Order: sequence, then C-alpha cells, then structure tokens
Amino acid sequence: MGIISPCGNNIGDFWVKVAAGKSGVRKISSEYANLLSAKIAAEVDFNPSDYFGKKQVSYLDRVNQFALAAASEAWKDAALSLDAKEKERSGVYMGVGLGGANAIEDGYVRLFKQNEDRVKPLSVLMIMNNASASYISIEYGLTGPCLTISTACASSANAIGEAFRQIRDGYADVMLAGGAESFLTYGCFRSWEALRVLAAEDPEDPSKSCKPFSKNRSGLVLGEGAAVVVLEELERAIHRGAPLYAEIIGYGSTSDAFHITKPSLEGQSRAISEALGDAGISPETVDYINAHGTATQWNDLLETQAVKKVFGDGAYKIPISSTKSMHGHAIGAAGAIEFIVSLLALKNQAIPPTINLDQRDPECDLDYVPNIGRKGVRVNTVMSNSFAFGGTNAVLLARKM
Amino acid sequence: MSTIERLKKLFINKFDFNVEELKPDTTLEHLGLDSLDKIEFMFDIENEFKIKIPDEEFKVTTIQDMVDAVDRFVSEQVSRSPDLAMSH
Repeated sequence: MGIISPCGNNIGDFWVKVAAGKSGVRKISSEYANLLSAKIAAEVDFNPSDYFGKKQVSYLDRVNQFALAAASEAWKDAALSLDAKEKERSGVYMGVGLGGANAIEDGYVRLFKQNEDRVKPLSVLMIMNNASASYISIEYGLTGPCLTISTACASSANAIGEAFRQIRDGYADVMLAGGAESFLTYGCFRSWEALRVLAAEDPEDPSKSCKPFSKNRSGLVLGEGAAVVVLEELERAIHRGAPLYAEIIGYGSTSDAFHITKPSLEGQSRAISEALGDAGISPETVDYINAHGTATQWNDLLETQAVKKVFGDGAYKIPISSTKSMHGHAIGAAGAIEFIVSLLALKNQAIPPTINLDQRDPECDLDYVPNIGRKGVRVNTVMSNSFAFGGTNAVLLARKM
Repeated sequence: MSTIERLKKLFINKFDFNVEELKPDTTLEHLGLDSLDKIEFMFDIENEFKIKIPDEEFKVTTIQDMVDAVDRFVSEQVSRSPDLAMSH
C-alpha cells in the first residue's frame, strides 16, 4: 500500500503520526487564506520534483501526481512483477471526487481574472476525473478494467470494494485500488464555506480544529492526498509469497435515497449490516471501526446511532476512531486513507485515537478512543465506514491473515 | 538572444534535456516528443515570442524548422502589429 497525506508521504511516517495522535491540520499557507473565515486545512507537503521529471510536473494536476506517487509506493510494497498475460487480468479502480480542481481554478483565473484568452494546453487531461486511474494504468501497463468512481466522500471506499468484488467474482487477479483528491483552492474553500459544514478555527490551536464526536465539534476540515492498495487474488498472493497485510472479507454499498447532504440512519446501518453479511461474520467479531467521523453535527450523531443499531450493546465494546481529526477530510481519497489506517491497526495491533475529543457528547457515547491511541490491543477484524454527500454509503471489512 | 537560444531555454525549462542534445538538425522525434508535448511546447513558444501559432501551420521536423517557423510568425505578426503599422 502507498499514501500521500497531510500526516506523511509514506506508510511508515503516516502511521507514526496517526498512531501518536499528531495532527496534520494547520493554517493555510496560500495568499487568499486571510479572506476565509476558517483559515485551516490539512495540506500535504509535496514537492513534485522529488517524484517526477519536469514534463510530468507541468503536465499532471496535483491530484494525479498524488495518485501516481501513492501507487508507486504501493506497487513497490507489493513487489509485483506481471507478464503481459497477467497484466490483462490486472486493473485500476480509483475514487476521485473533484478531478483536477487546481487546473480548473488555474484556467478560470487565467480567463476571468487575468483576461487571457488561453488556458494550459493540457487542461482537459488535467481536469478529467479519470486521469488518475488512467495514468496509473499506463505507468504499470495494466490492461484490465480501469474505472473511476466518483461518490464524493465514499469514492475510494467504493473503488476498493468494487475492486475486491472484481477479483472475488473472477474478472481480475490483481487490482490497484484507492483514491486521490487535491482541491484546496480558493474556489473550493469558498464553496465549502458556503455550505456551512467547515469547522471553526480553534482559537488557541488551529491544529485542533477538527473535533469528531466531541460536544463542541463544529464541522469538517478539508484535506487532500491519495492512498492506493494492491488487491490480489488470495491463492495467487500466497503462492508467490507476497507481503500480506490482510484479507478483505466484506463490502457493503447502499444509498440513502433520502437527502443530498443529510445522512440517514437506515442507509448507513444497512451498509454496515450488508458488509457483515457479505463477510459472513457476526458483529461481535469486529475489533475496530474507523469511523467516517467528519465532525459535523449530523454525521457523528447518525453514525453513532447506526453503529448502535447494528451492534446493539456490543457497540460500547468496540473501539472506534475518527482519524479525520488528524488527516482532515480528503473527500475522494478519504475512504482509502482510512482503510489503510484500519489495515495498519491490524498490522501493528494498535488503535489510533480520535484527537481533540475533550467534551463528551451524551448523544455520542461510544468508545471513540479519545486523544490517546492504544498499543498491544488484539485487532483481528477491522471495519472502515465511508458515508458520502449524495447518500452513498460504503463499508469495508478486513481481517488479519 | 537568438531565436535558437531562446527555444533551447524553453526546451530545458520544460523537459529534462541537456543543452548538448539540442542541435539545429535534431529532430523532435529523436527527442521523443509526442503530439501532446508539441501542443504544450507551442503554448510556451507563443508566450515567449508573443505570437499566435495557427493550428495547421506548425509542421516542423527539426529544431531548425522550428526556428524558421518562429522567425516567420514573428516577422508576420509582430511587424504587422497596429503600433508598428501606425509608424509607417
């Protein structure tokens, strides 16, 4: 697996920070920051020249650079070597919410602000939502299915879930799956601000602004990044001695069919139940849940209720954390980033905390692993929840090998 | 700076070439430039020389062809600019 995130640009650094409860949220560096009411985000420190030649630095939108960089780490980690025939049975599914948002903004600035009559020549290729998946497919010569899934905050959880089914149903042997997002532009900040879902800046410490499940939570903090996992048919992976993190055992995919932003208890709980049913395991088997946990009033309340509805009294025994408190909300990349957190919890037998949880909310009364992570915990089965604007819900389940 | 020197500078800013690779008779094919590279590079040339390159009129094989084409566009377009025309 591979990652580019506000908490580090490789799996090792990322886990050290997330397990220790270190926030990647900070004051925005851009010049327009002083115009915004909340001047905070979870930005990625990324120097494209460390990864790409001059040409790719100029041709690729930041979102595609993130995707390729994360895929590169995943590819090396999986130690894959595929011949032409095997590549035909290998594909790429990526979740992307907004495509090349930086190129869109750059184009509009040129046209409407600087009154130029041209945009960058490859703008179309930078903006199109499927560029990330296609560039990965080209880079590794994977000639099987190559799809882009765009379901807002659930995009990459859906991408991983659908890729899992692609292998389980016998259509592919190897899938690179994940998501990428990079949309921290002035226009995007203004759009999210207008929707009134962004967290207020913590007056004492901006890095503590995202407070999932806390009584004083005020909304989400926008993030960015990319995460890619390599999925491989189990027998094949074991046979070649691949480094194995976990077995994906279940996937639930539902739609609220209710409201474009307001979550539904029914839709979320059904996605969780469906994933458990798909895996054929009972709820008490789950040792850790990585929550969607956006820190909006509605999400955290409804997600808590959905977990209680499925797990009953058992809900109180399962450690649940929202790592968005640290890496922010990376929309299209969020599900994959959090699935990787869940896999790292399995690998390390440790659970990352929900940071900034200082005020207990009587309506959010589960074990959210407040502020301090746990080590030496038995973690055999993990669940990762992703609930999107639009009402799409995706739940992934994995277990230790 | 001569046209070829200015073009070489654009090449080096955009691609990972050494200046030694860029000779007048070097072909774009030899440099491994594909159709997208050419589109990108035309944009840079337009910026650098303050010219417009019409879609159908940039059929170049070598760097020297490129120099000649740029010089032609410059002489056609820059010398015909309204300011200069006024002075005639």
